[in-house]
Amino acid sequence: MELKTFRGGIHPPYRKEATAGKATVEISLPAEVVIPMAQNVGAPNAPTVSVGDRVEAGQKIGATDAFISAPVHSSVSGTVKAIEERKNFTGAPVNSVIITVDPNQPAKWTEKRDVSNLSAEEIRNIAKEAGLVGLGGAAFPTFVKLTPPKDKAIDTVIINACECEPFLTCDHRLMLERADDLIAGLKLMMKAVGASKAFIGVEANKMDAADVLTPKVSGESAIDVVLLEVKYPEGAEKMLIDAITGRRVPPGKLPSEVGVLVQNVGTAIALYDAASTGKPVIDRVITVSGPGMKNPANVLVKIGTPIEHVIEQCGGMTGGVAKVIMGGPMTGFAQKDLSASVVKGTSGILALTQEVIDSNAEQRCVGCDKCLDACPMFLTPNMIAKEARLGKWDLADKYGARDCFECGCCSYVCPARIPHVGYVRKAKAELAAAAKK
Amino acid sequence: MANNEFAYSPPPHIKSKDLTGSAMRDVAIALIPVIAVAIGFFRLYAIVNLAAAVVTAIACEWVMRKIMGREPSIGDFSAIVTGLFVALLLPPGVPFWYVMIGTFIAVALVKELMGGLGYNIFNPALFGFVSLLIISQLFGLTATTLYLGALDGVTSATPLTFIKAGALNGLRPGYWWLFLGHAGGAMAEVSILAVLIGGAYLMYKGHITWHIPVSIIGTVFILTAILGENPLYMILAGGLVFGAVFMATDWVTSPDNRLAQIIYGVIIGVLVTVIRLYAAPTGAVAYSILIGNALTPLLNRVVVRKRFGAVKTVPVEGE
Repeated sequence: MELKTFRGGIHPPYRKEATAGKATVEISLPAEVVIPMAQNVGAPNAPTVSVGDRVEAGQKIGATDAFISAPVHSSVSGTVKAIEERKNFTGAPVNSVIITVDPNQPAKWTEKRDVSNLSAEEIRNIAKEAGLVGLGGAAFPTFVKLTPPKDKAIDTVIINACECEPFLTCDHRLMLERADDLIAGLKLMMKAVGASKAFIGVEANKMDAADVLTPKVSGESAIDVVLLEVKYPEGAEKMLIDAITGRRVPPGKLPSEVGVLVQNVGTAIALYDAASTGKPVIDRVITVSGPGMKNPANVLVKIGTPIEHVIEQCGGMTGGVAKVIMGGPMTGFAQKDLSASVVKGTSGILALTQEVIDSNAEQRCVGCDKCLDACPMFLTPNMIAKEARLGKWDLADKYGARDCFECGCCSYVCPARIPHVGYVRKAKAELAAAAKK
Repeated sequence: MANNEFAYSPPPHIKSKDLTGSAMRDVAIALIPVIAVAIGFFRLYAIVNLAAAVVTAIACEWVMRKIMGREPSIGDFSAIVTGLFVALLLPPGVPFWYVMIGTFIAVALVKELMGGLGYNIFNPALFGFVSLLIISQLFGLTATTLYLGALDGVTSATPLTFIKAGALNGLRPGYWWLFLGHAGGAMAEVSILAVLIGGAYLMYKGHITWHIPVSIIGTVFILTAILGENPLYMILAGGLVFGAVFMATDWVTSPDNRLAQIIYGVIIGVLVTVIRLYAAPTGAVAYSILIGNALTPLLNRVVVRKRFGAVKTVPVEGE
């Protein structure tokens, strides 16, 4: 079968063997959880509880009236110990609710109801109330994506089952372990946006997942499982739409512009959970891996669990860990310490050793053009970096700074080790600041 | 454990194995067939000149970087590669001190004085070579001294001078000898096959693509055919293939995007044809590529590729 793909991109070593074959396990609860009020793209939430309050698992503890937002729920039953700023996974201080965890947690959300009669409006509300965001890492509020502009008809829903980042296998495991729920969640999404067609895009290194899914949708003419070339960033929204439908989202536009909605595997399953049992987003599957991790695993973790606890539950780290990453190695965030907590968008915790990371110093660009060939957006990364280094933000933008979605392909291939993504972020921040003036 | 400090940097946190130094080393490896053929044909003459160039290149780079307060950069192999290029661009018969002057110009002046690798506008080796051509004219070193050397019977006049002299059909070497190995002109020009093997290696390694060599050679082929010349001979004779594969593809001095590279290649191809046919064959490829180098910054701004999903391209202005 011919594999679909996009132009550009890279083939990093994937290193998924460590966890791809390991079933998801639930880890024990930490003594306390730290739940940031801002976990999504858009507006932060204000706490709706006070210090000393008793909270139940699934109780809403943070909300806002802003449109692009997602409420936050307590992931455990316990007592609010403090509400204060804590550093989140990016290192930024974020207002957080700290909850002391009760030793006994009541069983909840065990009964499933039929979801086939839910209306589009009801499905959107469920997504909103559940605090659902894109669980692939982008953390864009799902309810907003399920509410496209009136003038943009969505005809196609794509489930992003690429998991193109090295090391990560949490979506792979979800496909194997919860295939029926994935398909049920996908159908809810199709209904919510009125799409008549859906694709589940699976990279060809997860053939077992494709083999589980394909027979389950063989009776459904509206849903197809599509095999994609193993290439990074195959799972980037615009690349995936191009690979599967041949439609290209114009610069600065959203997928709704070409009538497509893209959602991640975990998001579809979480939507089904919310619709069928009423469970909000209070836990997620993450991959704990990397050569510095003693027992790599796929684990089900409560939102707000400090990563130190997650790592301990996986047997801790070996010596010689040089870098700890939250997320994948291409787009994840380096951690200075292990104090940050797992949020809705956390897909992995990786312990990387010196052999895996690269500590060569930045050198002068020698014009090798590898970044241009790798860039899936067809930008000019070397010039963006050059102009940004000189503080010429407008020129950096003319070479594509604001069209960059920071996949990191340019920096990956750069023989001069130029940190393009860092320069792009700087340029975007400066351009945004200049636009406000 | 909580206060452990781990390395912090923006993503990505993994990188390909390629480094500037390893890529330059690959260029040196790609030159092995060319160097082997040169040594096979010219023996000690080749060895002496190659060694003189490499030693001079390393010394110039070290001294210049010392003077200018920069870290030594022998690890990036670029000086070694530049030295090899200068020696190979010259005929084997030139005296070694001549090679040293060319290398000094290339490494000390064109590269390091401009700021080092990545800052230079012109291909250092080509600039060094062209400087020697001009110097030799100024100091009365005629084309004969430069090109016929003192080698006994191994070298003959360069194939291109046959064309200029009026197509002595019976005397000029055949296609196959030009392709496999014919001693005329520069050391780099001996065997087209050796050059192509090196080029294939660089393409395999992902360091160069077909765009520049094919557009240059293709342009010369088509244009000389239109102008009534023998296109195959035009390609096989002289330094065109070596220049197109090894010199015009120089990372620093060639345009960034593939479309601009094709335009750059066509411009060089036109220049090569015009200079060879209507001016002097000697140095035609070198002059053409250097002019192409000068146009590179402009091409990079004007020929911008179309962004993903965009309807049109926007040239970059305001530099």
